[in-house]
Amino acid sequence: MRELVKELKSGELLPSEHLEEVIEKIEEREPRLNAFISLDVEGARERAKELDKLVRSGRASGLLFGLVLAVKDNIAVEGMRLTCASRMLENYVSPFSATAVERLVREGAIVIGKTNMDEFACGSSGETSYFGPTRNPWDEERVPGGSSSGSAVAVAAGMSDLSLGSDTGGSIRNPASFTGVFGFKPTYNLVSRYGLVDLAMSLDVIGPFSPDADGIALSMEVMAGPDGRDAGVQRSLSFLETFDAFDPEGVRVGWGEGFLEGVEEPVRRHFERFLNVLDSIGAELVELRVPPMEKVWPLYYLIMYPEFASAMQRYNGLTYGLRGEGSNLYEVIADARGKGFGREVKRRIILGTYLSMERYEKSFHERGVKLRRGLRAEVKKLFEEVDFLTSPTVPFLPFRLGERLDDPVKMYAADALTVLANLTGIPAINVPFGREGRLPVGMQLMGRWFEDDRLVAMARFLEGRG
Amino acid sequence: MRIGFEIHVQLKTESKLFCPCPTNYWEAEPNSNVCPVCLGLPGSKPHPVNEESIRKALMVALSLGMEVKPKILFLRKHYFYPDLPSGYQRTSTPLAVNGRLGKVRIREIHVEEDPGRYDLKEGLVDFNRSGVSLIEIVTEPDMTSVEEAETFLKDLHLLLTYLGVILNPSVVFRVDANISLEGGERVEIKNINSIESVKKALRYEILRQKRLLESGRGVKRETRHWDEARGVTVSLRVKETEEDYRYMPDPDIPPVSIDPSLVEELRSSLPELPWERKERFVREYGVDRTVADALVRDKALGEFFEEKAGEISPKFWAEFLTSRLKGELNYRGLDFSAVPSKEGVFLIAKAWHDGRITKEAAVELLRKLLDGEIGDVSAEIEKFSVVENVEDVVREVVEAFPEVVEDYRKGKKAAINRLVGEVMKRTRGRADARRVRELLEKLLS
Repeated sequence: MRELVKELKSGELLPSEHLEEVIEKIEEREPRLNAFISLDVEGARERAKELDKLVRSGRASGLLFGLVLAVKDNIAVEGMRLTCASRMLENYVSPFSATAVERLVREGAIVIGKTNMDEFACGSSGETSYFGPTRNPWDEERVPGGSSSGSAVAVAAGMSDLSLGSDTGGSIRNPASFTGVFGFKPTYNLVSRYGLVDLAMSLDVIGPFSPDADGIALSMEVMAGPDGRDAGVQRSLSFLETFDAFDPEGVRVGWGEGFLEGVEEPVRRHFERFLNVLDSIGAELVELRVPPMEKVWPLYYLIMYPEFASAMQRYNGLTYGLRGEGSNLYEVIADARGKGFGREVKRRIILGTYLSMERYEKSFHERGVKLRRGLRAEVKKLFEEVDFLTSPTVPFLPFRLGERLDDPVKMYAADALTVLANLTGIPAINVPFGREGRLPVGMQLMGRWFEDDRLVAMARFLEGRG
Repeated sequence: MRIGFEIHVQLKTESKLFCPCPTNYWEAEPNSNVCPVCLGLPGSKPHPVNEESIRKALMVALSLGMEVKPKILFLRKHYFYPDLPSGYQRTSTPLAVNGRLGKVRIREIHVEEDPGRYDLKEGLVDFNRSGVSLIEIVTEPDMTSVEEAETFLKDLHLLLTYLGVILNPSVVFRVDANISLEGGERVEIKNINSIESVKKALRYEILRQKRLLESGRGVKRETRHWDEARGVTVSLRVKETEEDYRYMPDPDIPPVSIDPSLVEELRSSLPELPWERKERFVREYGVDRTVADALVRDKALGEFFEEKAGEISPKFWAEFLTSRLKGELNYRGLDFSAVPSKEGVFLIAKAWHDGRITKEAAVELLRKLLDGEIGDVSAEIEKFSVVENVEDVVREVVEAFPEVVEDYRKGKKAAINRLVGEVMKRTRGRADARRVRELLEKLLS
C-alpha cells in the first residue's frame, strides 16, 4: 500500500487518475454486489483534484495521500448519511465525523462512500440490511460475511483501496475471511470509537480492511491513539516502525483443539497447512489447552444483547430518525421502533432487555461481566507461554444467500472463533490463506493486549503464502 | 411520621459532565449549548468525566462529614422520555456515604447528568440543560415533622451557598420526598421544586394519608407526583408497576478513581461553613448566638458585617443589621442583595452609633435608602444631624403654645406629647425625642 501512496505523491499516478480507475470498478461491479449504501463520487472527484494540485505544486504529503477509502455505514462521516443499514436512520445525516475517519482524511485519504452492512451490525452474513444483501465478489450467490459486508467487498473487488469496519464479535474478520482480504480488529480502546454507532460498547472496535498487511499497518499508524473524545483510549503504538523491523524467527504461536471444535473439514485442512507455513517461516508451534470456543461464545450473548438493548434506546424517533405515530408517548415510540427495525435487531433488543432486568436476582449482564473476567485471566495465562494464538477465522466457508437467515443458531455459529478476541479485548487479524475452489479461506492470528503492531507485522510474513 | 429526601442540586461548573458545552442553560437560546454528546447523536461518546463536577461534589460530601469512596462507576438508568436523548441517564454509584447535617443522617451522594427540558404543551425540547452535572443527596428518613424538614432544607441550602457550588440560584433544589405515617407504607413524592412547595406537598400528603389511615383503607407503597398548579399529589405508579431501569455500568466510561490526595486537599481548603462562622462571630465579636445565627443565615449580610466590624461597635452593628435592616428588608420582601447602597447602610448605623443622628433619624434614613429616595447618603445624614440648640427650640415651643402648657400644668400629662411632637417637627426629627421630653418636663415643673 505504501508503494501506491509513493506513486500517488510523485505524480506517476495522479490521485484523480487513480480515483477514476476505482470508480470504473465500482460502475462495473456495484450494481450486482450492492456493497455501498451511499456513494459520493462527485465529492471524491473534487477532493482528488485538490490533491492533484498539491502534487503539481510539490506539496503532496500525508501517509494515505490519494488512497480511496470506503467507510462502513455505522461510522460517522460529516455531511453524509449514517444509516446503519436501517430504515430507522434511512435519512439521517451525521453532522460530525468519527475520529478515525477524520485522521485518515487528514492524512490524505479520499472517502468514496458508505458501505452496506447488517442492520446495526447485527448479523454475520451481510443479509439483514434494509438496503438489501451484499454479495460475495467471488461467488455472487454466496454471502460475503458480516456485519462489515460492504467494507470487505469494496476492498476485495477493488472498489476502494482501504475500508473501515467495526468488529463486536467478528464483524471485520468474518467478512475479511469470506472475501479474501486482511481485516484487523485492534485491541479494545486502541482506536477511538468516537463516531462509531454502538452495538455492544464493551466489545466494539473500529478496524481496517486492506488487500495487504502493509495497508493495515499504515491505517492503524494513523488511527491509533487517544483523542480526548473517547474516555477509554489512552495508549498509542508505532505500527510502521514495528512492521519494518519485525522478525518472525523463534516467535511462539499457540493453537489448541478447543479452537477446532465445530470447524468444518475444508477449513480444518487449510488450518493444518497454515500451521506448516508458520513452521516454515521460523515460528515455534505450541499446542495448548485452550478454552473450548463452544463454551465461550454463549458468554458473548450475555454481554452483547444487554449492551445492544441499552445502545438502541436512543433510536425512538423522538429527536431524530424515523418518526412514529400514536396517541401517547409509548405508542409513538413503539410505532417508530416497530417500523424502523428489522427482525434480527428486534430479536436482540428483546433478549437484551430481559437479560438486563433487575427483577432477576442479579442481571444476566452482570453475571456475564464476571465470567468474562475469568476468561481474560485464562487468556492472559496462555499468553505467558506464547506470543500469538491462531485458529481458523470462521469454522466454515461462505454459504449461500438466505441459507441461514432463519436459523439464528446456525448464523451465530459463524462467530464461534472470533468472539474470544472481543470478550478479552485482544487484537486479532484475518490473514487470507488460499482458496477452496473459488472461495477464499481465512486464518486468524490473535496477539497480546496492545501488541497490535507485532501482530500486524507477523501477518505480513504469511501474506501470499496460501 | 418519618420524612426523608432525595435532593438534586445542579453543580456550578464551566462545562457539562461529559462534554465541553457551557452550562448556562437558562439564559442561552434554546438548543444552542449542545453537541453530539449531549444530544445523544448516533456515534457520539462521552468525553472523560468533568473533573470540576467531581471536585464540587466532594466538597459537599466533605462538608457533610461523609466518607468518600475510592472509586465510582457511572451506570445507565434506562427509560424513555422526550428530554432524555440517549434513552438512558448516566448516574454514578455513591461518591460518599454516611454524613450528617444537624440531626439528619445523609445516606449517600452521587453524581448524575441532568436531562433536557421538555415543554409538554408545545411538544418541544430544549437540550441546553442536557448533560449538566447534578448531585443527588439522599437522606435517611430522620425528619419527623414538616418544620424539621424545612429546617433541614434551609440548612442544606445555606451550606451549598457557602460552598459556592450552586449553578443556578433561581433553581437550587429539585426534591423527591418520601413520607410514611405510623401504620402506613412509604410514599414517594416526585418533582417538588422549592422549599415552600416541599412544605405544601408534605402537608397535603400528611392530611391525605391520615384520612386513609383513619378510614381504615391503609396507605400502600406508591410513587406520587406533586402537581404544583393544583397543589395536590397524584398517583404515578404503585409498587407492582415500578419501572425496571435495567441499571448497567456504562461501558463507555472507565471507572473514576478518587485520588486521596485530592480529597485531602479539598478537605483542608473547604471554605468556612455557616455553623463555623456563627461560632466565630460569637467568639470574636461577642455578639449573641441568635444574632450571629441571623448574620450567617444570609451569607452576604454576614460578610458585610465582618467587613465593617472594626470601624464600629460590633455588637451595635450586628444588632443594627439583624433587627433594623432585616426588619425593613422583610417588610419590603427583599433580601440583602437588593440593598442599593451597602456603604450607605453602614454610614447611617455609624452616625447613629456616634450620636450624630437620632434613632428616629436613622430609621427614617434607612427607609429612604431602601426605597431609593437617597442619592448622597452623607449629605442626607448631615441634614438629619442632631441640632445643638435643642434647648432653645424647647423654649420657643413652650412660649408658642401657652394653652397646651396650661393643660399640662392642670394635670393633663398627655399634653406634653403635643409639645414633643412640635419640637420634633421644628427640628425635622433631628432631636432626640427622649431628651426633648426630659427638657420639657424640667422646664414645666
